[in-house]
Amino acid sequence: MLALIYFIILAVIALGAAACVLLSRHPLYGALSLVTSMIALAGIYGLIGSPFLGVVQIMVYAGAIMMLVTFVIMVLNGARDSKTPMFDRVSFFILPAVILLAGMVGFALVRSPLAFDTTALRGSVALTSKTLFDVAQTGPGYFILFEILGLLLLSAMVAAVLMAKKRLGSIETENTEDKH
Amino acid sequence: MELQPIFIQLLALAIFAIGLLVAISRRNLFFVLMGIELALNAVNLSFVGFAKTLPDAMSVAGQVVPLFTIAIAAAEACVGFAMVILIFRNRESIDADTYSDMRG
Repeated sequence: MLALIYFIILAVIALGAAACVLLSRHPLYGALSLVTSMIALAGIYGLIGSPFLGVVQIMVYAGAIMMLVTFVIMVLNGARDSKTPMFDRVSFFILPAVILLAGMVGFALVRSPLAFDTTALRGSVALTSKTLFDVAQTGPGYFILFEILGLLLLSAMVAAVLMAKKRLGSIETENTEDKH
Repeated sequence: MELQPIFIQLLALAIFAIGLLVAISRRNLFFVLMGIELALNAVNLSFVGFAKTLPDAMSVAGQVVPLFTIAIAAAEACVGFAMVILIFRNRESIDADTYSDMRG
């Protein structure tokens, strides 16, 4: 009963913040609403027995990714769309389409039998790390994915640095290269 | 009345629908990327909620796979915002409708 009350409070916060993302004018307000929504979702993770994922959600999503978003919004100061309208005529066709999609998927979900399994494991740090770094030959092999993920993040960082720096052919870059 | 798994799925569906709506209907490029992040969050929540309905040995996947999803979302945000900076430097505009060079 208490879990249901906590869930309803967190769900209302998450949904309200998501609606604020849809309706806010300035991207910075949208980003702050998104942080609120993510923190409420982290609370739901803790509530249904995945505290490790909740902490990762706060650290990586609400911390790192949203820090990047707000930083880029503040660097590109012309980001406010006060001149252009928020929605155009196409948006009025998207709204019923998305509601129809959600209604159909929701209908299929409500029809399906779902129940919590009492033997499902709680996702504590010890359990998650033991599963993730199980290097036994008969194990699930998640550690290989973990290594590949490190490679992916490194390549994404290199790609971001290469794309966001000044173009190679620009005058400033050529001047600095001549000096060296 | 106790907390049912279907409530978690319906919440994830609602957040996913809002994220999709933000990503498609908003014109500001930042809101498009934030809508994608919101939809990815909803998918994570759905994954964890479904994993709690599985028995002992299978439910461990619900703790590990969302971790990979979060890391891939971080990589996606990193590259995506670098592209936003690049496009903004070329066009001096953040409105997605001005990037229509490739229309047929």
